[in-house]
Amino acid sequence: MEDLARYICDLAKRRGAAFADVRILHRQSESILVQDGKADKLSTYTDRGIGVRVLIGRCWGFASADSLLRRRGERCLSDALALAKASEPFVSDPAMMAAVTPVQAEDIRQPEIPPNAMPVKEKTARLLEYERTGRKAGGDAIVNSVVSYSDGQREEVLANTAGTLVRTAVSRAVATCLLVASNGHILQRGTEYRGIAGGAELLRRTTPEEFSIRAAEKALALLKARAAPAGRFTVIFHPSITGLLVHEALGHNAEADAVWAGQSILEGRLGEELAAKSVSIYDDSTIPGAFGSYAYDSEGTPSARRTIIENGKLVSFLHSLETAAKFKAAPTGSARADSYDSRPIVRMSNTFMGRGTVPLADMMRGVERGIYLQDGHWGYVFVQKGQFICHAGQARMIEKGELGEPLRDVSISSMTLDTLKHIDAVGDDFEMKMPGMCGKEGQSAPTDCGGPHVRVGDIVVGGHHGA
Amino acid sequence: MAEATNRYLDICQHCVTKAVRLGAEWCDVSAGAARDISVTIEKTGIKTADAGQGEDVAIRAFVRGGMGFAVVSGSNRRDINNAVERAVALAKEATPDPDFKALPKPQPAAEVKGLFDERIAGMSVDQVVRIAVANLELAKSMEPLVNLSGHVGLTVGEGALASSAGVALVARGTEIDADIEALLKRGSDSGYFYDFDFGRNLDDVQLETVAASAVTGANRFLGARRIKSRRMSLILGPLASYGFLGSIVGAASAEAIQRGRSWLCGKVDERIASRHLTIVDNGLIPRGARSGAHDGEGTRRRPLTVIENGRLVNLLHNSYTAGKACTKSTGHGTHSGSISPTNLRPTLGKKTAAAILKEVKEGIYLESGEIRPDSASGDISASIDFGFYVKRGQIVHPVESAMLGGNIFDLLKRLDAVSCDAREEPGILMPTIRIQDVQIAGTE
Repeated sequence: MEDLARYICDLAKRRGAAFADVRILHRQSESILVQDGKADKLSTYTDRGIGVRVLIGRCWGFASADSLLRRRGERCLSDALALAKASEPFVSDPAMMAAVTPVQAEDIRQPEIPPNAMPVKEKTARLLEYERTGRKAGGDAIVNSVVSYSDGQREEVLANTAGTLVRTAVSRAVATCLLVASNGHILQRGTEYRGIAGGAELLRRTTPEEFSIRAAEKALALLKARAAPAGRFTVIFHPSITGLLVHEALGHNAEADAVWAGQSILEGRLGEELAAKSVSIYDDSTIPGAFGSYAYDSEGTPSARRTIIENGKLVSFLHSLETAAKFKAAPTGSARADSYDSRPIVRMSNTFMGRGTVPLADMMRGVERGIYLQDGHWGYVFVQKGQFICHAGQARMIEKGELGEPLRDVSISSMTLDTLKHIDAVGDDFEMKMPGMCGKEGQSAPTDCGGPHVRVGDIVVGGHHGA
Repeated sequence: MAEATNRYLDICQHCVTKAVRLGAEWCDVSAGAARDISVTIEKTGIKTADAGQGEDVAIRAFVRGGMGFAVVSGSNRRDINNAVERAVALAKEATPDPDFKALPKPQPAAEVKGLFDERIAGMSVDQVVRIAVANLELAKSMEPLVNLSGHVGLTVGEGALASSAGVALVARGTEIDADIEALLKRGSDSGYFYDFDFGRNLDDVQLETVAASAVTGANRFLGARRIKSRRMSLILGPLASYGFLGSIVGAASAEAIQRGRSWLCGKVDERIASRHLTIVDNGLIPRGARSGAHDGEGTRRRPLTVIENGRLVNLLHNSYTAGKACTKSTGHGTHSGSISPTNLRPTLGKKTAAAILKEVKEGIYLESGEIRPDSASGDISASIDFGFYVKRGQIVHPVESAMLGGNIFDLLKRLDAVSCDAREEPGILMPTIRIQDVQIAGTE
């Protein structure tokens, strides 16, 4: 693989590319789906291929093929050069590249239990145990149970015309549990997710109590919850919702490709106070075992911890080699490509808010009437408008500083800058357990997010009835 | 092209034979290739042009009803043989499932016309770039300072499906599309919107005007204001109604209902919506976005009325759920074993979209946005991402920081109008829909 990557890079230089990089990737993964007591679908996926990116004049070209034959690599290079030349006359914002410090490195992460070291039978037995215990915990109310697991390894070689040659291998494992409960009138879902940069040790580490039994308890609790009121409230975010806030509301806006394209509300705001002094937000791809961690990004830049907001002030964006050049900043190792057939784009890794000083009980005491949002499910953002949406699977009313009745299925929507300004308490706790695949421009990247509990003064809640 | 497609049928049949020899009781295999071109627009210029090509083979093997599934990219014979062996080995590891009855038998069907267009297949990168540039020029002539981003691209694919039940099918198709976002800034105010066009045939698209349409939309979203929380009418424009109706038909998956996890459980043959709502799923429409003579398992497609005058009358089946329910597959199976709707055709009403809007005393007109219920509870708690405040039949201003909530059954019962005019994308109808008395949460 290394020889082919180097050969294509040398050929690209000879054919006039100002810069080129070649990524060769081989992925293998296995999935098991357990439903209602049966492991009824077992799957395996294998793909390998090459992606060639070239910079000619002012424009990029990119081509890929699902083969590691030398002639297919040569064809990709020819196609990429032709694509760049065809587009070049219409470029309004010329491509640029930061000066690349060549890296020659190898980082082969051996998980505690490599995916293929645990037999499928053993993995399946573990999932069936999760499913059985979850169903038992939920009793007759459980009408459907789905437990899934997948693990796999991604091996990648990256070479560029500046002399970088990096070989990496990383395994990831993900387990999900969905239990659906019914009281004869309504259905409710309880879900749990686990994900690590690692292997089948995830199954050894994850107990039914913290996984399937917890999912069952959530589903049962939701059967007794009432629909949320609609309107403006003081809210307290559980760390999972704080994670959605920092990922969706701030993180996507801090991706420098969006900022450079004029699509981010953070354009021109570097150095400004955007949040309370107690708010600091980081993106860190060096955390051992965290789902979004990696050793080198897809351009060969070493992984790093990046500070986005420090004591309320916006101090940095997340950069690729190109955006670093355009902003005259240092690359941050944030360029990631989903596969060999996609270009590296600026992505988050593990994004979180730093711990504060306020105990949760003190945070609650200050709320006359509000909502405690838990169980972060999903979110999305319009970076152009600075608007984000987060969905909480569970919530509780807060009445006179005390947790009140349970609420179900609550979403919030707000403007990023308003929300950051309205954070008036940051908790002294911390949790980051939101592994997931983040989507952007048709690509997905493994990420995680989290933080402490936080209190936000004024947010609109999409409920079913007037407040 | 035909030669290549026959090669994929040969690959499929080779894999089926091998899988059966290895112990698979049932097996089906799909194989195919796709190539694509994509031109990316950023900052109102061309950012990059990409091209890709790939082949893949997907093997589904069944042993005592348990399924093993293997997907491999490329055309390396050894990799493919390994994938077949792995699929059969995994099927043997799976729990036996007596609910699996059989894969579909061969079902001859007439070709659905217009799914492959030689003109799209023959397009060069230069031609795709020119479409992108035409968009930029037209949009800039309307708004010189507009910030455009998006892409213009095409895909050309061909493939085959063979099974141990005797299915042997080949198909090919083309797609071309543009989706472009426009951002306008006026001081501290900004307006943002997008539009798209999609077709399998060049005669069905006007790709050069997508950015202009996005600019028009972005202009309309300048000057957004906050509104008060109260109950009012909700009018779903064509783009919003498409997602809303799609989520309803998606919930009619027999898999989700047999498993007991859909908000539509127990509702078959019951009234779930007002009588204004009828939705037909039709995968046989010539040149349709999701059309094809057969589904991913080789079952012949047929038009299916899912909701008729507000009653849930049919579920979407694949071969597994049909076998379990002792009925026939409706032709909505995918090759990976799931269920997917095709082209949705709501029956149109009697009033125009303009007349429906004019009757509204106070409401929200949702131009676009995801109003999707929770798949189990049917609860909706959604952001009004692209909405306008409506007063006395007139659109007054765009809305900022507002949400809507309710339960899907309440919304469907209060659905009181479907327009007689609709946006039409190949095979798909997107009317305007009105729902009365919806809880809106505002921040004024």
